[in-house]
Amino acid sequence: MEAVFYLSSLIAITATALAITRLHAVHALLFLIVSLLALAILFFVIGAPFAAALEVIIYAGAIMVLFVFAIMMLNLGKQAMEWERRLLSPRIWVLPAILTLVLFAELAYLIAIRRGGAWSEFEPVLPAEVGALLFGPYLLGVEMAAFLLMAGLVGAYHIGRREKKQLHRYLKEEEQ
Amino acid sequence: MTIQDFRNILPLLIIAAASVLLLVLIAARRNHRLACWLAGLALAGAFATSLFPSGTMPQAVGGLLAIDGFSLFYSALLSAAGLVVVLLSYPYLQPLREQMEEYYVLILLAVLGAVILAASRHFASFFLGLELLSASLYALIGYLVKSRDRSVEAGVKYLILAAASAAFLLFGMALVYFETGVLGFSDIGVHLAQAGALSPLAIAGFGLIIVGIGFKLALVPFHMWAADVYEGAPAPVSALVATVSKGGVVALLLRFYNEAGGYQFPSLTLLFALFAAASMLGGNLLALLQDNVKRILAYSSIAHLGYLAVAFLAGGKMGAGAATFYLVAYFVTILGAFGIVAHLSSGEEEAERVSDYRALFWRRPWAAAAFTAMLLSLAGIPLTAGFMGKFYIAAAGVEGGLWALLFILVASSVIGLYYYLRIVVAMFSQAEEQKPVKLRLFSGAGLILALLVVALVWLGISPQAMMGWINQWVAG
Repeated sequence: MEAVFYLSSLIAITATALAITRLHAVHALLFLIVSLLALAILFFVIGAPFAAALEVIIYAGAIMVLFVFAIMMLNLGKQAMEWERRLLSPRIWVLPAILTLVLFAELAYLIAIRRGGAWSEFEPVLPAEVGALLFGPYLLGVEMAAFLLMAGLVGAYHIGRREKKQLHRYLKEEEQ
Repeated sequence: MTIQDFRNILPLLIIAAASVLLLVLIAARRNHRLACWLAGLALAGAFATSLFPSGTMPQAVGGLLAIDGFSLFYSALLSAAGLVVVLLSYPYLQPLREQMEEYYVLILLAVLGAVILAASRHFASFFLGLELLSASLYALIGYLVKSRDRSVEAGVKYLILAAASAAFLLFGMALVYFETGVLGFSDIGVHLAQAGALSPLAIAGFGLIIVGIGFKLALVPFHMWAADVYEGAPAPVSALVATVSKGGVVALLLRFYNEAGGYQFPSLTLLFALFAAASMLGGNLLALLQDNVKRILAYSSIAHLGYLAVAFLAGGKMGAGAATFYLVAYFVTILGAFGIVAHLSSGEEEAERVSDYRALFWRRPWAAAAFTAMLLSLAGIPLTAGFMGKFYIAAAGVEGGLWALLFILVASSVIGLYYYLRIVVAMFSQAEEQKPVKLRLFSGAGLILALLVVALVWLGISPQAMMGWINQWVAG
């Protein structure tokens, strides 16, 4: 059990370090996803399966969507085809793939030993308990988080807003 | 949540509801004047409901918030400062070609965050309040995207540094939680009192939390953002950063230290004493080199937070009272000073160079007189609020035996005189060519500034009334 914890921690730290040192944005994003998946395993091991699931669904999932958007928005144009081909070269995906496979093996191991008994030394905190806390003593905290999101949204809307004529900047360049 | 709880957090509810209402209003119809009125009314309502609470006190609300005299006094102070910023913003923003309505939503949310900080007694509300405040400020600092070049740069600078400091803060909270197993301030205090001494992990945790707080207050090792952000932000937003943001964090710090029993641990006190000394000296020395009024005010506010930290370190009832009085005086003064900068700025051009103020007295005598009063108060000249504030800090410092810090306070105040008086001298120097004298007495912003000057002199001449309220609400 402890071996799984430390191995995942090691993967999380390595992947994060690689994510912040890669020059290529997409490459960095791949490592970021690996780091988030490793964090999810960590949560799982210490008895927070709900947080682990959220980590995968929201963070790794949302980052994947960002990934797709980044490719769609930054690479309109003639180089897109060649660029995508370069993305598929093994040099880029081999290391993240290996790290993810290790994480997958850890998960498989955790599920395998589950048959024998408990998978964690800690009492797992189940979604119902998290929900009861969020809508009980931490209700005001949830409301505050809602206003925090609103502030971020209003701010991002204002700063990111463009005049209509600037909207098609990329398209215009292509026409020329 | 009971009806009683809702009545207790009425100031928070009013501000929050107004921000949502304003968003709906924007969706229906954009109107700058209406947005300003709504935000102003909401903040005035929050001010009134803080001063005249309808609930029973003191009351804990849901484990996250504490509604007592302390938090209500600070909520009144922060709402009033927000109201002044809103009123100063309207004439400042009116000539610019931007969409202005979201500005007031963000101001309301920033004040909401600060009021949450002043009332929080739990790490969760501490962090959420601080982030609400920061997230609103990122956008407010960079708000004038189209009119100003440096606006977005300042916003991004603040965003990156504030996010990094939030990471420090979170890690510190995690370490303290690891050590104590609780998140409420008073529970931490109970746990630490039982443990007796701080373990290295707990010291590291508190140290990281202090880094996060020090960043928000722009105490000296963490002050790098201040001058650039104050310079790049619109003048009313600079006033907001200098008052509401710092005021909320000071309130939080006072409560956190009192409830968690931070004063018992000499290592934490020493850390803060070093920051206070560095801020007083650093702020005043760096301001000497500046030629930009907004940057000078930024460094001056760093130094003022250093003075305030002395009162905070003195501890006890007297320390909390002196810190709160100083904060009131600082709010009045710095709001007035940035108010003048905003008042003199015209559309695209910000009145920020010292040369812009040359011979101001001969062109705009009332504005120059008000600015002089504000600067003298910042310098701590007798008969002004700033002097009484320093007086109470000195009294609390003597009580607490902080002689070295008091000596630095006096010495750095003397250094500070130089750059405040430099602006005053520029304003009263004779003009080369005679420009027509403008005597506009009754503009809206002029009225606010006049009220601030009156408050400043009133606090300077008879501080007993304010000190009495503070003792009754904050220390009582």
